[in-house]
Amino acid sequence: MRTLPQLAGLTLAVLASNCAYAQTAYPLRIENCGFPLEIAAPPERVVTIKSTATEMLLALGLGDRIVGVGFQDGPVPPQWAVDDLPVLSEKLPSQEVVLEAEPDLIYGGWESNFAADGAGERATLQAFGVGSYVSPAACRSVKPAKLTFDGLFEEVDEIGKIFDAETAAQALIEQQKAELASVAADSRGLTAVWYSSGTKTPYVGAGNNSPAMIMEALGLENIMADQDEGWISASWEAVVDADPDVIILVDAAWNSAEQKKRLLAENPITSQLDAVMNQRYLVLPFPASEAGVRNVGAVVDMAAQLAALDFTR
Amino acid sequence: MSGLAVSEVSVTAGGKMILDGVSLSALPGQLTGLIGPNGAGKSTLMRATLGLQTLAHGSIRFDGADLPAMPRRDRAKISAFVEQSGTTESHLSAQDVVMLGRIPFQSVWQATPSRDDEHAVAGALEAVNMTGFADRLYQTLSGGEQQRLQIARALAQQPRLLVLDEPTNHLDVHAQLTALALLQSRARAGATVLLALHDLNLAAAFCDSLAVLHGGKVVTQGVPEAVLTPGMLRDVYAVDTSVLRHPMTGRPILAYNAPSNSD
Amino acid sequence: MTATQRPTLLTLGIGLWVLLLASVVLAVAFGPADIAPSEVWQTIAHHLGLVADTPVSRLRDAIIWDLRVPRVLVAAGVGAGLALCGTVMQALTRNPLADPYLLGLSAGASLGAVVFLLAGAALLMPVGAFMGAAAAMAFTLLVTQVLGGATPARAILAGISVSALASAATSFLIFWSATGDSYREILSWLMGSLSGAVWSDAVTVLAATIFIGLPVLLSGRALDAFAFGDNAAASLGVDVPRLRWLLLGATALLTGVLVSIGGAIGFVGLIVPHVVRLATGSRHRVLLPVSMLLGAIFMIWSDTAARSLFAPRELPVGIITALIGAPIFILVLVRYRRMT
Repeated sequence: MRTLPQLAGLTLAVLASNCAYAQTAYPLRIENCGFPLEIAAPPERVVTIKSTATEMLLALGLGDRIVGVGFQDGPVPPQWAVDDLPVLSEKLPSQEVVLEAEPDLIYGGWESNFAADGAGERATLQAFGVGSYVSPAACRSVKPAKLTFDGLFEEVDEIGKIFDAETAAQALIEQQKAELASVAADSRGLTAVWYSSGTKTPYVGAGNNSPAMIMEALGLENIMADQDEGWISASWEAVVDADPDVIILVDAAWNSAEQKKRLLAENPITSQLDAVMNQRYLVLPFPASEAGVRNVGAVVDMAAQLAALDFTR
Repeated sequence: MSGLAVSEVSVTAGGKMILDGVSLSALPGQLTGLIGPNGAGKSTLMRATLGLQTLAHGSIRFDGADLPAMPRRDRAKISAFVEQSGTTESHLSAQDVVMLGRIPFQSVWQATPSRDDEHAVAGALEAVNMTGFADRLYQTLSGGEQQRLQIARALAQQPRLLVLDEPTNHLDVHAQLTALALLQSRARAGATVLLALHDLNLAAAFCDSLAVLHGGKVVTQGVPEAVLTPGMLRDVYAVDTSVLRHPMTGRPILAYNAPSNSD
Repeated sequence: MTATQRPTLLTLGIGLWVLLLASVVLAVAFGPADIAPSEVWQTIAHHLGLVADTPVSRLRDAIIWDLRVPRVLVAAGVGAGLALCGTVMQALTRNPLADPYLLGLSAGASLGAVVFLLAGAALLMPVGAFMGAAAAMAFTLLVTQVLGGATPARAILAGISVSALASAATSFLIFWSATGDSYREILSWLMGSLSGAVWSDAVTVLAATIFIGLPVLLSGRALDAFAFGDNAAASLGVDVPRLRWLLLGATALLTGVLVSIGGAIGFVGLIVPHVVRLATGSRHRVLLPVSMLLGAIFMIWSDTAARSLFAPRELPVGIITALIGAPIFILVLVRYRRMT
């Protein structure tokens, strides 16, 4: 829900944008996840794979350019939702299906979307005259730098450049910066673990991708912050020994927050954690947990959840 | 009645009659040979004496007792079986292999070989002239040595009946003669020995009695001189033979006449 | 060439028991949590009623008694059980490359586990695994009968085909349904992992290994009889078909339990019997129990490495057993060549 200050900011930004921001100069050459990408003109027909890609374009008002979506992780938040986005596939679409939609750009939320049994390898697509863009935070072949909100906003900016939509990009960035600034980082020095999935071995957020970024913004100390990865398979022993004050649960369709709560309560060792006994959980939906335009909203929501947690017992 | 008495034995497999009323006898103190073309049913008959083959008809008795009906451990204490020595992936020493023959006498709870076991194994190794080989790995022995060891294993069972299925096929001449002489001496010591053989001259040289298996039946049994006639060899083996006499033993020697090119 | 000098069996047996007990005591002292060994042992002594107080916090006490101790015990049980099953399978099939999973057991267990996981019942994966193993085994026996009867060669062929079918079905399910992180969970299962082992698992594994293992141990002499084939074994008084069915059934049951708790941990059932044979020869009365002891020790340390080497990260233990197992196998083969 937009507050008055946010609306005001947005209006100002829009008014200011037309004179303040330059148009994109084409052809645009950028290095994306180790692949040289050349954009000759603003893409008109885009296939997006994974929710982070779809939502990025929708948040920038570029929904009319989307000719197909695939492998989505959940419904689009209402403020950006549009009707009738053509769904190419529930899971990873095959190359033929993607090409049938005649895209000029494929925007993948994961680098693995561009495998031969998926949308196709990037070089092959290029030979067909189809551009491919990988969300920089999701790049694996070239290890990205530690993700920060500034880095995230740079991605938004880059998309803006690619689509000659810098106005909208800057507007979105300003709006999200303002939202982020409205959240006061918790100052109680609380520790937290980001529990993404896994039963026998928990898959937890580590030091350099969206989990770390979000926890930092919340003022929570990530118990796995010193691990130079996005996520790691940790041992329960390490998690329990750290005795985190708060447990962040990622709510996914295949592994819900409720399931995780049940697992934690039933496991003889985690059931003895303070955080479990007192239900000190923060929950966020899976699509908001990967680097994208929903991270800021997640921070705001989780800050409110954090403030409501009871630490008196 | 002592010795092995096979009487009107019939065995079917897969709808086909492999043995059709087979009768033969093997007396103690004698080496009885079983000969016949491939596929005649020799192996099946051997397996029947082990109780491995159900009899559609007939009986097999040893010293009057019904052999296939006997509890298998009891049967293993009085009869032993030797095949062509197989290869094995097991890392057994010669001593281990011979000790296998004591399995019928060892209880499940027995932790180590008993004195009787050690005695039987030592005796068996001596009988086959391989006492010094006890610690050698079975896999490092020659074919002939391995075969003698299999015989030793059978001897360790201290059997009264020895049944052997073509045990010398793959051995060189010296090894063949040594093994058969060994079996002969066991027979002389009182055992009943039934031996399926491929090589007719060896059968003639060593066996006291020969039974010919052909078409699922024993067509004749008797001393080698009586059994190994050119007529029998032509009917059963479809070969033209001249039968000679060994200058020293008097036993038959078969000289095969090669088929002429004009036939 | 003489047989390798065999160490006195008594010395070997005692030595291995000592090593096993020492391994259990030492392994619990390892782990990502920074607890001093003396505190670990004091805590255990406290739980055993030997000492009045526990020196560590409530959570660390739980780490030691509810995480580490059951896990080490599960490792010992799984290692002993898999080694025993591997040895028996190698004897029954007269094939040195046989392992406990030959009859489709691990492929079936994996299929069962993946089905349960993808159906949303992740906590019931062990049940699914056991059902899958049982189904695969039954199917293998059916195919063996269709092929004409239970001989080693036919059983192996049937097992290979059932394994291939189950693996293909598993791969298809993974491709079709798995999203996000469930790939990771499935992979960890397929490679074998002992993480998350709790006391009920330890009791199950140890009970299965002991109650199924002891009767199998008694069949050691009869297994020797199999060395030269079915006819030779029968002539020695062994009830070949019955013994074969009993041993296959026992192996399948035990393997099913072990795989349902630890996943498809490879190499233990294959390698340990070969290493032991080099030292003790092929007499199964010795080979079976020694393999169990060595299997337990090997598994305890492999699992300790899996959970401690890269702390706080955890590797599936199957990776460690493969990394260690493969070179050892090559060494064993070289030694075999030199001996013959």
